[in-house]
Amino acid sequence: MPTHELILLKNMSTPGYTGSLADYERAGGYQALRKVLGKIAPADVTEMVKKSGLRGRGGAGFPTGVKWEFLPKDYQGPRYLCCNADESEPGTFKDRQLMERDPHQMLEGIVITCYAIGAEIGYIYIRGEFVLGAQILERALGEARAAGYLGTNILDTGFNLDVWVHRGAGAYICGEETALLESLEGKRGLPRVKPPFPATHGLYNKPTVVNNVETLANLPHILNRGPEWFASIGSPPRSTGTRIFCVSGHVKRPGNYEVPMGITFRELIFDHAGGMRSDKPLKAIIPGGASAAFFTDQHLEVKLDFESVAQAGSMLGSGGVTVMEEGTSMVWAALRLMEFFYHESCGKCTPCREGSSWLVQTLRRIMAKRGRHEDLDTLTELCKNIVGRTICAFGDAEVAPILSTLQYWRHEYEELIEAAEAAELITPEPALARH
Amino acid sequence: MADVAIETVTLTIDGVPVTALKGTLVIEAARQMGVMIPHFCYHPKLKPDANCRMCVVEIEKVPKLQTSCSTPVAEGMVVRTATTVVNEAHKSILEFILANHPLDCPVCDQGGRCDLQDFSHESTPTTSRFVEVKRIFQKEYFSPLIETEMNRCVQCLRCVRYCDEVMDVKALAPSGRGTMTEIKHFSIHELDCEFCGGCVQICPVGAITSRLSMYEFRPWMLKRADTICTYCGDGCQITIQTKENELIEVNSSHGAGRNNGDLCPRGFFGYHVSTHPDRLQHPLIRRNGALVQTTWEEALEFIAETCLSLKLAHGPTAFAGLIASRCTNEDLYVFQKFMRLVIGTNQLDSSARYGHINGVRALLRVQGTHRWTIAFEDIVSAHALLLVGTNITETNPITGLKVKEAVKKRGAVLVTVEALQPAIGTISNITNLAAHHVTAHPERFGDAVLGLIKGVVEEGLVDPSLTQRAPEYVKAISEAVRCLPWSAIEQATGSTSSALRAAARAFADAPRAVILVGQGVLRAPGGSGVTTTLLDLLLLTGHHGRPGCGLAPLAEENNDQGAVEMGTVAEFLPGPGDLTDQAVRERIAGLWKEELPQTPGRTLMEILDDARAGTVKVLFVVGENPVGTLPHAARAKEALERLELLVCQELFLTETAALADVVLPACSYAEKSGTFTNTEGHVQSVRQAIEPVGESRPDWEILSALSVLLGYPIEYREPREILKEIRSLISGYGLLGPAPIPPRPDAAVVEGYLKKGFAEDVTSRYSLSSSTDRQAGNLTLVVAQSLFHSGKLSTRAKGLLELQKAGALALNPADATLLGIAEGDQVRLSNARGQMTTSVQVRDRVPEGQAVFPEHFDQEVRRLLSVSPDPQTGAPYFKTTQVKVEKV
Amino acid sequence: MLLEKYTDHINEILSRYPVRRSALLPLLNLAQREDGYVSESAMKEIARILRLTPSQVYEVVTFYTMLNLKPIGKFHIQVCRSLMCALVGSDTLVGWLQARLGIRPRETTPDRLFTLSTVECLASCGTGPMMQVNEEYYEQLTEEKVDRILADLKRDGTCSLKSGPFMFPQPELQQVKR
Ligand SMILES: Cc1cc2nc3c(=O)[nH]c(=O)nc-3n(C[C@H](O)[C@H](O)[C@H](O)COP(=O)(O)O)c2cc1C
Ligand code: SF4
Ligand code: FES
Repeated sequence: MPTHELILLKNMSTPGYTGSLADYERAGGYQALRKVLGKIAPADVTEMVKKSGLRGRGGAGFPTGVKWEFLPKDYQGPRYLCCNADESEPGTFKDRQLMERDPHQMLEGIVITCYAIGAEIGYIYIRGEFVLGAQILERALGEARAAGYLGTNILDTGFNLDVWVHRGAGAYICGEETALLESLEGKRGLPRVKPPFPATHGLYNKPTVVNNVETLANLPHILNRGPEWFASIGSPPRSTGTRIFCVSGHVKRPGNYEVPMGITFRELIFDHAGGMRSDKPLKAIIPGGASAAFFTDQHLEVKLDFESVAQAGSMLGSGGVTVMEEGTSMVWAALRLMEFFYHESCGKCTPCREGSSWLVQTLRRIMAKRGRHEDLDTLTELCKNIVGRTICAFGDAEVAPILSTLQYWRHEYEELIEAAEAAELITPEPALARH
Repeated sequence: MADVAIETVTLTIDGVPVTALKGTLVIEAARQMGVMIPHFCYHPKLKPDANCRMCVVEIEKVPKLQTSCSTPVAEGMVVRTATTVVNEAHKSILEFILANHPLDCPVCDQGGRCDLQDFSHESTPTTSRFVEVKRIFQKEYFSPLIETEMNRCVQCLRCVRYCDEVMDVKALAPSGRGTMTEIKHFSIHELDCEFCGGCVQICPVGAITSRLSMYEFRPWMLKRADTICTYCGDGCQITIQTKENELIEVNSSHGAGRNNGDLCPRGFFGYHVSTHPDRLQHPLIRRNGALVQTTWEEALEFIAETCLSLKLAHGPTAFAGLIASRCTNEDLYVFQKFMRLVIGTNQLDSSARYGHINGVRALLRVQGTHRWTIAFEDIVSAHALLLVGTNITETNPITGLKVKEAVKKRGAVLVTVEALQPAIGTISNITNLAAHHVTAHPERFGDAVLGLIKGVVEEGLVDPSLTQRAPEYVKAISEAVRCLPWSAIEQATGSTSSALRAAARAFADAPRAVILVGQGVLRAPGGSGVTTTLLDLLLLTGHHGRPGCGLAPLAEENNDQGAVEMGTVAEFLPGPGDLTDQAVRERIAGLWKEELPQTPGRTLMEILDDARAGTVKVLFVVGENPVGTLPHAARAKEALERLELLVCQELFLTETAALADVVLPACSYAEKSGTFTNTEGHVQSVRQAIEPVGESRPDWEILSALSVLLGYPIEYREPREILKEIRSLISGYGLLGPAPIPPRPDAAVVEGYLKKGFAEDVTSRYSLSSSTDRQAGNLTLVVAQSLFHSGKLSTRAKGLLELQKAGALALNPADATLLGIAEGDQVRLSNARGQMTTSVQVRDRVPEGQAVFPEHFDQEVRRLLSVSPDPQTGAPYFKTTQVKVEKV
Repeated sequence: MLLEKYTDHINEILSRYPVRRSALLPLLNLAQREDGYVSESAMKEIARILRLTPSQVYEVVTFYTMLNLKPIGKFHIQVCRSLMCALVGSDTLVGWLQARLGIRPRETTPDRLFTLSTVECLASCGTGPMMQVNEEYYEQLTEEKVDRILADLKRDGTCSLKSGPFMFPQPELQQVKR
């Protein structure tokens, strides 16, 4: 069906591919490593990655090579790579597939990255629920160690590296890079105040790079086939390469689709994901995971690249595209997401902690037809008081669904509130229980 | 510090140009120019956490508002703290915090001094648009002394961060997440920690409060007295808050005193001693064998008459006096003047004899100072710290905080030679922070020190300029340590030679190094010798005399140092000046307009001997309690019973006072004014907080009254007059500045020591302690100071009794297993001298082979102890012995 | 005692990190695997191993939702309730489970076999409704599948409907529609 070349999903789309080391090598795996290690200077590897235009696939879309360059050049002492495999953003399920189906692809990317940044230890921070993924990665690490792709003196180049799987234990916030580091240090996963950034003060206060699974999985291909090749895919110059979009919701064929960046939402949803599951028309799209502002059917022609989505008022985020059909209550959808954010706010900073509880209660009340007219102004203002005032981007994320649904579907809120005025007051809900 | 270049930057805050040190946070720079940026989570003692988001400001060229508590100043930065945007942001944060905050100010002890209340009062509307259900936490019992009300918590985590960063206790746990985060201890257990009160003090709202003063006050009802804590040598500034002469609470403001507002449980919760119902309220006199109430007139006249007739009959040598180092300098000074002038004897001593004198004598001998040559600031900025024989957290908690700060915040290398071993417990353990640790047997600290010196010599770390300056000295010591076999040192210290060498190197390599010596050395045989040898270590490594370097003996009692300086120890006149120094004698005589007595001084143990021998017939005891302090083997009771007149000035009817012919009720520190001199030699004001209890009077006043009746009036209108007289003797005594100005070592004395002085006892000091191997099946019993008490005084403080109300024997788990004992079991301790029973605590920090018992509850333990006075300093040693431990 | 039973494993875990405390989550995960929850004695033991105070362990345990402080049923059924799964029927799934098990979320069946929870997104948004039972995922659930899973779990302790290495849409299965 796809008319373009698959990069990241290619191996696993081959019938019979198991993801074992043998399969991976047979498909050309670890060739990039052989090409790079000891043959291309680390700084040049970074340069190539910069040239490829690769941007982070974890959410923020930060240029990967530039991030690596921030590490202090003359620093003596350990540096670390942390692979962010926490994949917890509602609507996102691509990293799970990349890890479980083709673990060596990302491992090769990890080894290359460690080589480029001079790290001798890498940790894969994987969300605790991915037990199978962790097992698969452990097995793959064992294979790689046995084959000499990890350990001491890798491929006789004098480069040493060990990579360990570190399982989380249930906390969305640990996907935020500094919370991830705290968690990896054995603490509560509370984001750190930045600056300083992980590049200088990361894991154990040492220079550290945090990269997403998909970001890392791209590296072997970039180094194998050259940065120019990569930069020609997608919508250059700012959104190069393919991305795996995780389509969920009311479509016929939900799932992971790897496409060059720059195709439209219409193409992704209707050509790849098979269109709407029933005869109900499309009502809303979440373009980039739970943290992204909603789109409407008016946005179907927006291109799936960083700039276009941003220009249209949302973000590409983690690549989770959720489709909702006509008839879905937008207040309800916003509430469901808000409940997620309320549940996951780490509680470190006041606006996010108190704001999330206030917002969720207000939404629940409106949804239960106990809303008041002032509520909509209050909601808007509370959201504005959260944006930009928090330690991490969670604060901005949690208000996106509310603000965007209020923007496009304010009448749905108003209808519920009017219903409240008509209805008798229901007995109040009991106090918020502990999560 | 002179060796650090000071860089400054210039910025503008609200249009005003400000110059601040590089690295200063914007919030601090603003505070320095008088602009208070509202905040909750920020505290100057803690690393910025920027979690409350209250302190945001506008910074030109930065798009988002920035938290001023986490942003360092930068050259040319333009900060605005009060724009509309900033004010709106502050309001919105307050709105968020108040959303879930109960409106229970009327029943909250923080009311009237609550940051949230203050900020809200300034900037929020009277109505709230929060109409949802407020978050409610189940109320849980937290602890006997500390109360939590989590509904009031603003989740700034100051308490948790303080407990970790400053105290290193890590007892408080933020549990749960999001809005449901609450401050707890471990699981559902009640709080078990150091009880420093830091969390109560640092909470900006009323979420953590003291149960001792719960619901008793409003801040504006309280009368404050800034004074000095009476429980240890650290000399913390405390504020005693009272209501109608009742003690309500004690706290210490940030930035105040040498303790910078930090306190320990004794200081924070131990304040109820002064108003204990057992306080002596009236003079007592012995009639028909029993002490009965009398009047001041009668009591004093009786003493005067008896004294006069005994003096006539036996002369002044039949008199002696003992005073506690808990008294003020003014009390101490008047006491020795009373003894010397009114009575005419030098036979007087004080509790500084128990150990502090050992440190002082070593300092005097080697460097000619009787004080530290450093101050707390030098501990904080040292690169290496060597702690010998001090469980500093429990003996000198605040000096301990300085050490923690040096290590945790500034990365100093800590070397510990301690009787306890690294282990996590409910009380912080300084050895956990050590980069090099020697778990020395409590009788073998000296051997470990020799090991370090051997390391210095063998690693070639001896200061070359010293070798040039004092070749004989270096040679003698080098040879002496070469003769000590590593094998013997390793056996004696349980540390390998390589570990000792590494520790020696760490110490020697540090640009600034400080040695702290504690009771483990000072109160153990050879105390002054080991301290002298530690000074050798400073000399050999070239640290001695360098700015910021020095050796610091830790004073146990609040005014040990003052007792020495006021001349209330056997060997010293005020100054301290040597009793036999003619020039000093003449100066004092000139001032007093009277000859000083010629008799030699007598130490505590000698005075008891004399009493037992019948040569001393009259003893004045001010606050001292030899019968309750010394082991039975010292036969103090027998000595005092032989006296013809025993006069005690006391707060309580102690074991000693119970034997007295006259007991005079004295004021506690809370009821009088004067000065204390802390361990670093800082003289600080003691200020009266409450009216004297009953008929009690300050000690100096009692002595003064007696002097009149004895026909030799030494009179003062108030303590300040006494201080004035002290100053005319010791110029500048007690300038009361913010920090002491430490003396420099006397170069001539150091030269003398290096040339000749060291040789006196170099052989004995440089030999390993004669093997006192434990007999099989025995444990070494160590009687030690506990964090929750100070002497016996604190055992009358109801708060501290909540924390520790009886003694228990702490054992290592391995020994406990071996003996078949579990936590809480009863055991019998016995040796040739006697036996006793007590209960057991199993503690990881106690090394195998040892058993630690708190001295504050040692009534029974003192049966088992022997006592031996130091041949040179007369300090009585009685803190360790061997015992057999059996389960009963 | 974990250390006695898993000495080598624990030492191996410790060897992965330059700072001991980092081993906290791995050890907690181990403890929970052992007992089904993190007991107080496990927290104390882990604190000792890592040289932390029990409070430091406790605060971490309470932060992470997967760690249970109390014993739960043998099978912990966790239904994703986040929006994406809710769009395709997770509330209905919870309804089925409630009806079959006779318990509501956060409750355990009297035979202590099943505990039912609702959780937030488990990264299976394209294959909802779904649930995780202990360590396994079950996706694209229907009423029949739920019945089979519950029956198999009761009988065999496991069920073959659990997800394998994840890929969706699966190329091999494109023709062989599930
Ligand atoms: C609340 C929050 C949650 C996040 N969760 C994830 C996540 O689950 N996985 C991920 O890769 N990045 C996540 N991120 C983004 C990371 O902070 C970070 O930007 C990313 O790991 C960097 O990798 P990249 O540059 O390769 O994208 C999250 C960010 C925030 C603010
Ligand atoms: S924004 Fe929310 S999640 Fe991020 S640090 Fe603040 S409280 Fe935690
Ligand atoms: S005081 Fe700055 S964020 Fe709390």
